[in-house]
Amino acid sequence: MRSILAVDDSASMRKMVAFTLIGAGYHVIEAVDGQDAYEKALTHTFDLVLTDQNMPRLDGLGLTRKLREHPQFKTVPILMLTTESSDQMKQAGRAAGATGWLVKPFDPNRLIEVIQKVLR
Amino acid sequence: MAESHNQGGGAGSGAFDLTQFYQIFFEEAGENLDQMEQMLLDLDLETADDEELNAIFRCAHSIKGGAATFGFADVAELTHKMESLLDKLRRHELKPTAPMVDVLLESADALRGLLACHQGSSDNPPATAELVRRIGALAAGEEAAPAPVVAPPPPPPPAPSPAPSGMPAAAPVGVQRQLVIHLGPLERMEQADCVEELFRDIDGLGTITRRDSADPRSRVYAVDTRSSNDELLDLFAFHVAKEQVRIEDMAAAPVPAPAADAGFGFFDPLPEAPASVAAMAPAPAPVAASDPGFGFFGDLPTAAPEVPAPKKDTPVVVEAKPVAARVESKVAAPAPQAHQEASTIRVAVSKVDQLINLVGELVITQAMLAQNSRALDPVVNQQLMAGLADLDRNTRDLQESVMSIRMIPMSIVFSRFPRMLRDLAGKLGKKVELVTLGEATELDKGLVEKITDPLTHLVRNSCDHGIEMPEERLARGKPEHGTITLSASHQGGSIVIEVRDDGKGMSRERILNKAREKGLDVSDQMTDAEVWQLIFAPGFSTAEQVTDVSGRGVGMDVVKRNIAAMNGTVDIDSSEGYGMRVSVRLPLTLAIMDGMSVGVGDEVYILPLSSVVESFQIKADEVSTVGQGSQLVKVRDEYMPVIGLEKVFKVPRFDLDKSSNIMVVVEAEGGRVALLVDELLGQHQVVVKNLESNYRKVPNVSGATILGDGKVALILDTVALVRRFKH
Amino acid sequence: MAIADNTAQTTSLGAGEYLTFRLDHEEYGLDILKVQEIRGYEPPTRIANAPEFIKGVVNLRGTIIPIVDMRLKFNCAKAEYNDFTVVIILNLRHRVVGIVVDSVSDVIQLTAESIKSAPDIDSVIDNNCILGLGSIGERMLILLDIETLMSAEDMGLVSSGD
Repeated sequence: MRSILAVDDSASMRKMVAFTLIGAGYHVIEAVDGQDAYEKALTHTFDLVLTDQNMPRLDGLGLTRKLREHPQFKTVPILMLTTESSDQMKQAGRAAGATGWLVKPFDPNRLIEVIQKVLR
Repeated sequence: MAESHNQGGGAGSGAFDLTQFYQIFFEEAGENLDQMEQMLLDLDLETADDEELNAIFRCAHSIKGGAATFGFADVAELTHKMESLLDKLRRHELKPTAPMVDVLLESADALRGLLACHQGSSDNPPATAELVRRIGALAAGEEAAPAPVVAPPPPPPPAPSPAPSGMPAAAPVGVQRQLVIHLGPLERMEQADCVEELFRDIDGLGTITRRDSADPRSRVYAVDTRSSNDELLDLFAFHVAKEQVRIEDMAAAPVPAPAADAGFGFFDPLPEAPASVAAMAPAPAPVAASDPGFGFFGDLPTAAPEVPAPKKDTPVVVEAKPVAARVESKVAAPAPQAHQEASTIRVAVSKVDQLINLVGELVITQAMLAQNSRALDPVVNQQLMAGLADLDRNTRDLQESVMSIRMIPMSIVFSRFPRMLRDLAGKLGKKVELVTLGEATELDKGLVEKITDPLTHLVRNSCDHGIEMPEERLARGKPEHGTITLSASHQGGSIVIEVRDDGKGMSRERILNKAREKGLDVSDQMTDAEVWQLIFAPGFSTAEQVTDVSGRGVGMDVVKRNIAAMNGTVDIDSSEGYGMRVSVRLPLTLAIMDGMSVGVGDEVYILPLSSVVESFQIKADEVSTVGQGSQLVKVRDEYMPVIGLEKVFKVPRFDLDKSSNIMVVVEAEGGRVALLVDELLGQHQVVVKNLESNYRKVPNVSGATILGDGKVALILDTVALVRRFKH
Repeated sequence: MAIADNTAQTTSLGAGEYLTFRLDHEEYGLDILKVQEIRGYEPPTRIANAPEFIKGVVNLRGTIIPIVDMRLKFNCAKAEYNDFTVVIILNLRHRVVGIVVDSVSDVIQLTAESIKSAPDIDSVIDNNCILGLGSIGERMLILLDIETLMSAEDMGLVSSGD
């Protein structure tokens, strides 16, 4: 079973995402912000990271950068959840090393769809 | 957008029922609003902290995200507007002003109203159009001076900047590029500041905007310039070594701009599935007609023609939507119960109550075991005794932990007052400062709910009737700002909450006159304390005008009744011209306290150990009698009044050989008395039981407890005992 | 007034189950639904300055409840405390309280017809507290409105400020 690290400081969003992913057969590790996610990354194994952008302590871009600095996380797919898809965001995401993005609010079905593409 | 956004009702497509997450969202949003409000009130307009502004922004952003996801469009819309304003504030495009804080606070209120409607607890949604308009106006800078980040100033002679060869002062020719420049790790951050200044000082060099960096020793910038990398490196060389500069050209990588806003995307082609990527990837030709909502940062050869000068949105990145990464920072201090705390659980209060009851029973049982085991031979029953000692310790620890579950700090109660007072003082044209003390003092959750209304009334009263208008205060030689102090502290087995103000206090004359008017039986001989108690009579109000500020039309009599219903007491002290103090004393429910048992005759009484100072044996001649039969005892250099418990409690004396010859000195409210008892029986923890739930208030008794033998013992009210001798 | 009250109460009384008990030579009845349990007498903890008929408080499985001796309250000839002395624990609207009685008999069912209003006689018991007189066989029971009785100010359970 594939594992997904789901990062969002909003409990309702996080729970919803976890519920959606678990329903689709994934195992979910939850983190409440970038720092928490980073710490969990060092002690858990997972196949994909799904992260919100705006979070305290360490945000999505920061988390992405930090993970990419590690050899073991150089290639893990990282999807950013953002509230808009401007060029700005894309540049920043790309620069940080993210694999892709998903715009919030999103349809749970689409979330599964995208993740399945990535984890194929 | 996506089809999961049905307002109210069952949301989600297919099997996804999002309604189960609504409750969490509502609670979360509520907490975010509380936090936002608190931070807005605390915000120092002159020196607003980046950290604070970011935190406030995040609160709005978080609510917006959830609202949009769960289909609460009205909430999402208003929050979105607030977010835009907050974004400008956090990027220093605008300076925070009082009107902005006002409109944000009002919007927070409106959001609460909207959320209440969605939760079903209200069907009166607040109107938001006006708020939206006002926010828009403020965000457009109508009343604020935008911070000068954007416009490059006319080129002054660039003092610190070198004039590297080949770097013309005029705008260099070249293609406009967007770069991301990393500077670091730096020994001094001023080095990076100097680089920034270059862009300001050199006309046409381009624009530089700071982005957040995960590494505090580095800086990241988004730069828009026509200069080549070499030119830039040369320019920076004066401040930053070449090795410390990393320039990334954004244009080199194709920005995958899906013709239609795909809503998603991938930055690079997905491995192992090139076919699907081609199908999925936002190719130049519009892909899906419907908006997919996601994307991959794909590297598409076919996308090359699309690349040229990526849409020159504006070099001024600051106006773009909020995607900004946040500087790694500590969690903002003002959130003691930060909602991002992953290790909290929500539990029904009834479960906690049950737990506390059970622990209380356990304590009693354990005490009984301890008592019954005293008669046993410790040598023979060594293991049993050891086990009981462990049990004692474990029970003690358990009860401490459990008690703390229901206890929450007074800051929760106090938190509503800054806002309330601000609005109220504003309405009345008064200047009032609120000081809170003892915010960490804990009280039982059940009491929190009940104490809030009476306290609110008392604070309103102080503001409305106590604190004078600024001119009047100045005329009296008082500072223009009135001060209302809220304090909480533990005293004995109670919590004492005080509302103090430095206003005009109460007029004895006026109260007596009003009382006479109402036909109450009063006399000029009444002590001040008695006069102040008159205001608790129903319908009593000496205010010249009844302002509609006190809302529900409750009076001091209701306050007193509410507090009495909690088995508490209210005391008033006032000094005309100087101010007033209202003291509310509440028993802590199911307090477990350390007690000292004393014996008088055949009866056992308990003293709160915290009030016991010392004890000693005396001989009859050490007690002196003064007029009216009062007795005094000399303790070192101090004479102290003596209270014979046998007399006060009319304890029947059967064994005439025994008599009281032990003095226990107790202290309360700064005063001391010596209690005369027969013997000291021991110290132990007692579960404080309420006497008044089934009986009534007994003078000099604050509660009762159950001893190891199952019998009830009365707990003495040391405050009352000490007060017998106070003036 | 009292009789009119009692009539009103009697008609609203209807049938009901009553626990019967004895105080001295008199038999009384009270609404069984108010009775929580029946216990033996144990010496309570004395409360200073309380009226004589309030014996004190006891621990009832963790709750502190007052004990009122009805024999003292109703000025009975004697009030003994022995193995047969019974305490009826009442669960009333505002409080749980125990009353000491000489003995408890049985629970009887009374129909509306078997209840008559009490004559307005001068007795230690306030007429407000008497629901009526019930008869069953040869026995005559004084039916008490135990809620009103225990909440009366002279019962000393209610502080004057309440």
